[in-house]
Amino acid sequence: MSIDATSSREPPKGASALAFRSGSADDRATPSRHRERSATRGRKPRRLTIGRIGLYGFVAVAAAFFLLPAVVMVLTSLKTMPEIREGSIFALPESFDLTAWIKAWSSACTGLDCEGIRVGFWNSVVITVPSTIASIAAGAILGYALSFWRVKGADVLFAILLLGAFLPYQIFLYPMVRAFSMVGLYNTLACIVIVHVIFGLPIMTLIFRNFYAGLPVELFNAARVDGGGFFRIFWNVMLPMSTPILIVAAILQITNIWNDFILGLVFAGRENLPMTVQLNNVVNSTYGEREYNLNMAATILTAAVPLLVYFVSGRWFVRGIAAGAVKG
Amino acid sequence: MTAPRKRPSTASLMLVPFWLVVLVAYVGTMLWTVQISFTASKLLPVDVYVGFDQYHRLFSSTRWLVSMQNAVIFGVLFITGALVLGFLLAVVLDQKVRFENTLRTVFLYPYAMSFIVTGLIWQWLMNPGLGIQKAVRDWGFESFSFAWAVDRDMALYALVLAGLWQASGLVMALMLAGLRGVDEEIWKASRIDGIPAWRVYLFVVVPMLRPLILTAVVLLSISVVKAFDLVVALTNGGPGISSDMPAKFVMDNLFTRQNIGLATAAATVMLITVAAVLVPWIYSEYFRKVRAGAAT
Amino acid sequence: MKQLIATILAGSALAFAAMPASAQDKPRAEVMHWWTSGGESAAIKTFADAYEKAGGEWVDTATAGGENSRAATINRMVGGQPPTAAQFNTGRQFDDLVSQGLIRPIEALAEEGGWKKAMPTALVEAASRDGEMYALPINVHGQNWTFYSKTVLEKSGVAELPSTWEAMIPALQKIKEAGFTPLALGGQPWQERALFNAILLQQGGKDLYMRIYRDKDEEAVRSEGFAKAVETYGALRGLVDAGSPGRSWNDTTSLLLRDTAAIQVMGDWVKGEFTNAGKTPSEDYGCTIGLDDTMLMVGGDVFVFPKTEDEAQKKAQDLLVETMISKDAQAAFNLAKGSMPVRNDVDTSAFDACAKKGLELLKSEDSQAPVFEILVSASLAGAVDDVVTQFWNNPSAQPEDVVEGFVNAFEVEG
Repeated sequence: MSIDATSSREPPKGASALAFRSGSADDRATPSRHRERSATRGRKPRRLTIGRIGLYGFVAVAAAFFLLPAVVMVLTSLKTMPEIREGSIFALPESFDLTAWIKAWSSACTGLDCEGIRVGFWNSVVITVPSTIASIAAGAILGYALSFWRVKGADVLFAILLLGAFLPYQIFLYPMVRAFSMVGLYNTLACIVIVHVIFGLPIMTLIFRNFYAGLPVELFNAARVDGGGFFRIFWNVMLPMSTPILIVAAILQITNIWNDFILGLVFAGRENLPMTVQLNNVVNSTYGEREYNLNMAATILTAAVPLLVYFVSGRWFVRGIAAGAVKG
Repeated sequence: MTAPRKRPSTASLMLVPFWLVVLVAYVGTMLWTVQISFTASKLLPVDVYVGFDQYHRLFSSTRWLVSMQNAVIFGVLFITGALVLGFLLAVVLDQKVRFENTLRTVFLYPYAMSFIVTGLIWQWLMNPGLGIQKAVRDWGFESFSFAWAVDRDMALYALVLAGLWQASGLVMALMLAGLRGVDEEIWKASRIDGIPAWRVYLFVVVPMLRPLILTAVVLLSISVVKAFDLVVALTNGGPGISSDMPAKFVMDNLFTRQNIGLATAAATVMLITVAAVLVPWIYSEYFRKVRAGAAT
Repeated sequence: MKQLIATILAGSALAFAAMPASAQDKPRAEVMHWWTSGGESAAIKTFADAYEKAGGEWVDTATAGGENSRAATINRMVGGQPPTAAQFNTGRQFDDLVSQGLIRPIEALAEEGGWKKAMPTALVEAASRDGEMYALPINVHGQNWTFYSKTVLEKSGVAELPSTWEAMIPALQKIKEAGFTPLALGGQPWQERALFNAILLQQGGKDLYMRIYRDKDEEAVRSEGFAKAVETYGALRGLVDAGSPGRSWNDTTSLLLRDTAAIQVMGDWVKGEFTNAGKTPSEDYGCTIGLDDTMLMVGGDVFVFPKTEDEAQKKAQDLLVETMISKDAQAAFNLAKGSMPVRNDVDTSAFDACAKKGLELLKSEDSQAPVFEILVSASLAGAVDDVVTQFWNNPSAQPEDVVEGFVNAFEVEG
């Protein structure tokens, strides 16, 4: 099997173009040499091969860079502490040992409680699900309103949102705590959900606004002629077309909300502390010696939900962006 | 004739709750921040006004100046690095390589990791006694050195490296999506004209991806300005103050050092800087486009 | 969407209202702290057990990292939902909370319990504002201990731990040549500063130390004694291992546990880690206060009790104070924590050889000095940290930089 036989999109006569295109990646790795060659030589198969080799070389290096930390984490989590101390981080574990994983999940100490990080798992789910749904709903409606309904002052609204996205979270803590306690919501599940909706609003609006701006205006005009109102058009026309961008938004928000630490710690209340708080306790608590295997297992377990979301929907993620943003 | 007038009013009505959120949460916090920055507040806000004292204090702090400088260096390297790497990865995946789905996941998965986790992993990899350095030295390369996080000249670049690892995949996904949207006709035409592909990418495709690049830049710059978790987990601003960042300065002064006056002054400076650098640009990018769209 | 939020609101409000009802009969105390490491957890457990034994219900809210924990505590106080009790370090971290009336004075309880006069004056003063106690000191931590690995000293040919820093530096050099890490230091600003202050107190003496941190005396900063301390500190820069920057104190202690490093200058909470690893003080490892067992730097932990109108909570607070300061709990807690009881009328026969050295020094005012957090504001403490960490981590920084840095910090932060 030759590497260059994979091209299916390109017609045979396009082989040279393909070579040039693959050369572009190669160019960046080895700048002048290849460019010269492609300009002067005409022996296609050889050029193709070199181009493809350069291409795959780059892919291999890049993949190694991205995979390295994950590989080390998984290997480490399966080792015993003496193995970690004595051996190389790249060495394979001597035996397939899941002790650290079980301990991280169900018996690691996070203070006085030694019930592992599972305690926070459901809290994280309970926070993430409504927060994700509500923040996407808010972003979608606002994005839709901003791109189709020319409302006075809407641009200012959007500009403030974008600017606000650049303030450090920490600055918001004090005024928001005061505000929430004034309305009696502080330290409740509702509180943390609203907080996530507020902090998610700028990016969600940005994404949906760009997406809807890319949809043909005729569609909207036609719906208006049919007598559709604000919500009917949104519900019947826009939403059905929004699947790809909804997936993008969901992935972004699930990641952000699931990984949040400080907001959960401050706003969620003791009963609703997310998993990341437990992770922090496990990782920053040592019992004599830092248990790297336990830390790695706990870390992977905490990241498992967003990772799973990516693995399952990574394909749609790219499609979602493709469907949305470029047309505009 | 009544309908067009009525509909915008529904939309305006819909914007009311959003205006409320924006005014209360965002504008409110911004005004509050600016106000507190002119007071002598320590742990809790008080209304003893001291003029520009906090700003004077701020700019006489070496630590603040170093952290601002670091933010610029980090920002430039991280944003351009992530854009270039992300674009290259997208171009490569666009070449009909094998295992495209697997590779895409490989490049994208770090984005699922929080910055805290990213910091922890890279801290471990760059730990001179346990990480890559030790492994390579054990293989016989005694002089190999990869301990950026504990080296005051390299700690900032350790942050850049970890940041690139985490965020390049997102740029790749955005760019790849853009490349998939590029009209096949363009490639056909360039082939007929014999234009080298790299030139097509650079001069035709990149301009077409402008909105996506903009989205990427906005997302990346938000994480630069807010860089806190990554710094705390990877270097904690050290060694010394060599990898300190503005957001960490703010957080330290907010609670640990009980200086919310100073912290809000720092946040105000950050906000003004961001506004000065980004707002005109974002404004022209987005609102120019809207006006063009409105015409169709 | 508004409906969605409304539904969520209603639901969670219900859930919230329904929760605490079941535990009404027992005094229920939620205690916020950042004690999550081995020795620390074991210590807080003794309090929890004592509290439950006294008929209360202990609700533990532990968050690793003092900064995280304090951020959560302060926000909950501001938000009107304070915990029953919250940990702070002895010092001025809770000044503002007191002046804003968010903390309940415990002076009456102190009078009633009669334990106030059994405490070191420095700690009582540190816990009081305008003559009233607002915080409950629960332990005394000596913060200028030098712990050392006997094995490493022996293998390096250092017969005895030197009793001055002048003699210490060459000894550490010798240890380095023998292939060990001479100084185990976690390169976080507070640890770097703790080392510096220990040296300053040892070399410069209590008088100079107090003139600098209590009086913010510029002359003292420009004195020879201060310069000498800075010089000693600077000479230590080359004597740590490469992994030092950013390392936590307990990871650093494990270097001594594994006999790869010689000395660690730290608070006596380190002992908790040794104990957890099954090592016996002064047998398996050595300890001195400063370098010659003459001057103890005294600090510790306190709990504050947020003001509340809820009678049940007040009762829970009363019981907490009573339990934590009781002689039995003091002995049990401090044995596990590695610290010393905050009252001098506790039976200390069970304490280890190291703690006994400290207890000896605690008997006299002249052989103790307060930690600098008691003497300076949180903001000045931070500014000092900045100066010290920049000097420590920059091999080309000069002692004069530290002097100027201190002068400047005193000027700006007062």
